[in-house]
Amino acid sequence: MSQGFSNNQNSFNTRSTFNSSTTNTFNYLTPDDESKILAWLSPLEPGVRHRDIGAQRLDSIGSWILETQEFRRWHGGSREDGTNHPTLFCDGNPGAGKSYIM
Amino acid sequence: MIDKLCDEAVEEDTAVACFYFDFAARTEQSPVNMLGSLLRQLVSGMEGIPEAVVRSFRNQKKVIGGRGLQVSGILKMFQTIAGTKRTFICVDALDECVPENRMVILESLGQIARESLDTRILVTGRSHVRSEVERKLGGAVAFLLIEPTGDGIIGYLREKLKNDTTPEIMSGALEGDIMESISQIGSETYV
Repeated sequence: MSQGFSNNQNSFNTRSTFNSSTTNTFNYLTPDDESKILAWLSPLEPGVRHRDIGAQRLDSIGSWILETQEFRRWHGGSREDGTNHPTLFCDGNPGAGKSYIM
Repeated sequence: MIDKLCDEAVEEDTAVACFYFDFAARTEQSPVNMLGSLLRQLVSGMEGIPEAVVRSFRNQKKVIGGRGLQVSGILKMFQTIAGTKRTFICVDALDECVPENRMVILESLGQIARESLDTRILVTGRSHVRSEVERKLGGAVAFLLIEPTGDGIIGYLREKLKNDTTPEIMSGALEGDIMESISQIGSETYV
């Protein structure tokens, strides 16, 4: 069954925020065309897992991560200011809460 | 973390995509499906589907029966999209991805980080895959050890005890014992 683009549940982004001046986009595709293209890109829906974990997580769990120097550098750093670590790997033992910090 | 990044995305014109590896879903979580899922999330957040994506879709339809996506094709489309704005990619449980696929995923994430300069990638995983991450991503990666915190363990226990389905057999002493004993061993096992 076709799904309208506006009903898509597989995005974490707010469409209205995209600045279309930097990428050429097709605005005249039908919702059915758009659904077919999105389905072609991938059948997987990680948003379901994200919502499941969010429902089980306490609000405060993992918030300490946001205050670490590693996270701040990853989040706010740029190549120009010398904080050239575009990737952050968070490792830990089983049950340490890695999925819940996401 | 993803929720925080999404909140910021509304204000700051950034994009967010995430993926959760699951060993039980290893067959369908191929590199093509995983990377395609990240791309799909970014495309879904845009006002229209990028020309490069539409063109690739139409071209593959010309082949009889259609042609499936390939990693190289996804990465090309990725570059045209992620290169235009600050993009955050979060990948959970890399250790649950089968080893052969893990190499392809790490290569691909490394390529995305190199080619899309404003992209930030966060990966979680058990410590035994750390050496693979170091080898594939080299100096481009920083590391952060995740350990349960005392406050996190206490908060979790309080919440569980609050929702206890048999509160009539709970006493103050038993609750105290539970909090103390699990907190002591929790730093190694539980959250």
